[in-house]
Amino acid sequence: MKQRQRFFIFTMLSPALLLYGLFVLLPAVNAFRYSLLRWDGLGKPVFIGIQNFVKVFSSASDFGVALKHNIFLTVVPGVFTLSISLYFAYIIHQKVKGARLFRIAFFFPNVISSVAVTLLWILIYSTTDVGLLNHIRKIWFHLPAYAYTQSANLLWALVPMTVWTAVGFYMVLFLAAMENIPESLYEAARLDGAGPARLFQNITIPLMWDVLTTGIIFLVVAGLKAFDAIWIMENGRPTSFTHTLSTLMYSKVFEEYDIGRGTAIAVVLFFLVLGTTLIFRRLLQRERLEY
Amino acid sequence: MNRAIIIFIGSLLMLTGCSYQPKSTDGQITIEVAIFEGGYGLDWHRSIARQYEKLHPNISINLWGDPRVDEKLKPRVLRRNPPDIASSSLPFWKLVVANKLYPLNEELYTAAYGQNMSWRDTIQHGVLADNTYEGKVYAVPTNLSAWVCWYDKKQFDAHGWKVPADWGEFMKLCAQIKADGVAPLAFQGKYPIYAWAVLLSLYQRLVPLEQWYEMQDLKPGAFTSPEFIHAARLIQEMSTKYYENGALAMTHTESQLEWVNGRAAMCFCGLWLKNEMKNATPAGFEMRCFAVPPVEGGKGDPHAVYAGGAEQFFVFSEAQHPKEAADFLKFMLSKDSAHSYIQKLDTLSPVIDSVKGITISPELKSAVDVLDASTRIFSDRLSGLYLEFAKNDLPDALSDLVSGKSTPEQFGTKLENAVERVRRNPEIYKPATMGVPK
Repeated sequence: MKQRQRFFIFTMLSPALLLYGLFVLLPAVNAFRYSLLRWDGLGKPVFIGIQNFVKVFSSASDFGVALKHNIFLTVVPGVFTLSISLYFAYIIHQKVKGARLFRIAFFFPNVISSVAVTLLWILIYSTTDVGLLNHIRKIWFHLPAYAYTQSANLLWALVPMTVWTAVGFYMVLFLAAMENIPESLYEAARLDGAGPARLFQNITIPLMWDVLTTGIIFLVVAGLKAFDAIWIMENGRPTSFTHTLSTLMYSKVFEEYDIGRGTAIAVVLFFLVLGTTLIFRRLLQRERLEY
Repeated sequence: MNRAIIIFIGSLLMLTGCSYQPKSTDGQITIEVAIFEGGYGLDWHRSIARQYEKLHPNISINLWGDPRVDEKLKPRVLRRNPPDIASSSLPFWKLVVANKLYPLNEELYTAAYGQNMSWRDTIQHGVLADNTYEGKVYAVPTNLSAWVCWYDKKQFDAHGWKVPADWGEFMKLCAQIKADGVAPLAFQGKYPIYAWAVLLSLYQRLVPLEQWYEMQDLKPGAFTSPEFIHAARLIQEMSTKYYENGALAMTHTESQLEWVNGRAAMCFCGLWLKNEMKNATPAGFEMRCFAVPPVEGGKGDPHAVYAGGAEQFFVFSEAQHPKEAADFLKFMLSKDSAHSYIQKLDTLSPVIDSVKGITISPELKSAVDVLDASTRIFSDRLSGLYLEFAKNDLPDALSDLVSGKSTPEQFGTKLENAVERVRRNPEIYKPATMGVPK
């Protein structure tokens, strides 16, 4: 590459690199530094080594409870999302009537901001007169209002909301992968007597395995980073029934002014997401099929 | 390559911008006032600022407000460039311990605006106790709030319900209201901390104030004492039997809407309730209140009221003009300023006798009656001092108590354990034993 070309590339990239460096890399590196300090963000910081990490992992800490909630929010909505989106992608791939409409309709929740989606579901779950579900309970079943969004019930209430929001995205992801599989492979299998289940199991799944792996990793990362829906539904006051690692980190930093401990949780969360992603990639790795 | 360096530096300058603050050279002083912009707005503060400027032509007040004022103040406190004076929910005690606030004692003993007494003597006794650190006062509130039980007089009259004289009558009233087909109590369930002031009030009804303040001073065993467990039991009985269905999933506005719309008959809340619900309250709603009823056989003062200062203003020690800022704060708490505060915002001021000689709304009159009938006020400082306890342990334990998930004994043990963690943590600042504030 000529020097002129290199100069041109550097010039064009410099504002973006500068922004990335200032607003992503620098704060990330600083987070590692802060995690070794006792600091309330107002007074002088004091270096305390790994004490914040010791506190994070101590028995009195909420870290374990929050991590359990993250695992719940990864596994339960994840299983539903994967199964439903795979099913919908497969059905639409079969060119059922109205497939195009379904594709748009299912994808629609994905284009709404997560805040708007959460507000919508707050209304659906509301125990006041506007609550759709409680209205149905009252009118059709003569049952008293049920506090779906009460802290103790909230994690389960998040499952349908998360699935409703996520299914469209994963359906489109899987559908794109399915549409890349040559039709000739299905025809050859059909000639050999394979039924729909066999086609799905032996052709569709193996040939879209890479995309499926990516989808699972996306779900795991989303589950580990869960924050906005809980924060909004709990009105910024998550409890031990609802705290996730991200909400705990936020509360420590911005509510309790314990910046060292909050960033220690952020550092642990970073390694958790990185480690889990690598483990899942390794576990789900299969020999690449060429077609 | 030189050109690339110039472009790089150019980008850096564009991103960082330049910070420039003009400084006065003509003897004119500008006091910067930062205010949390909440339900009370900024109009009253602005009008007071203009009056102060007329009185002190060499001073101009740069007053600004924001609902997220804390976020704007934090970096400035860190940069040691705070405004002169602020009202925000920055952690007061952390600021005090970090030496970020200016002690107001000297100003408190100067003459009050418009009265022949010291500024300190014009302020309701007790409200400065929570802002005092090692004998120095670091904040003064512009608002006085009390924790009371609100009801609609019109609804009470229509059903023949009577204001209860003690807790037994209160529980009978709840049963009667329920039998009449109305939910007895609205509850801001998304914020279980709303039950804390009622619980502390009931505990106060049961024990002498000396014992009540021992809890504030972290005396071991206070949360597992039979009286505290008794108070917790009373709360649990009330919440499990008489909270509106679904209340535990309601925000403060949702539950208070239920109350103003007549679906719940009573609501425990502070004096800000009227202002908070003013746009949603239907015509004809007669908002009145009564104090948390005394408990039969209790050893505590039956007429004390859980009340204290709110909208706290503090002057920063690193302010450009701390003395002038403190003087402006004194002016905000003059009797005339307090009169306009009460009349414009329909709320109370901590200035003594500030409601005398002015016309106030019947709702406010009802609150004034509660305070006039009280022997003294008391308030909690645990939630301001110990943030992890207040933000984490306490709401969790209260949520379990009011939903019936834990017994009063388990609740007491949970809090005792949480406070024990506070006691053992040398990093947490704990003030000297306070006892009953004079």
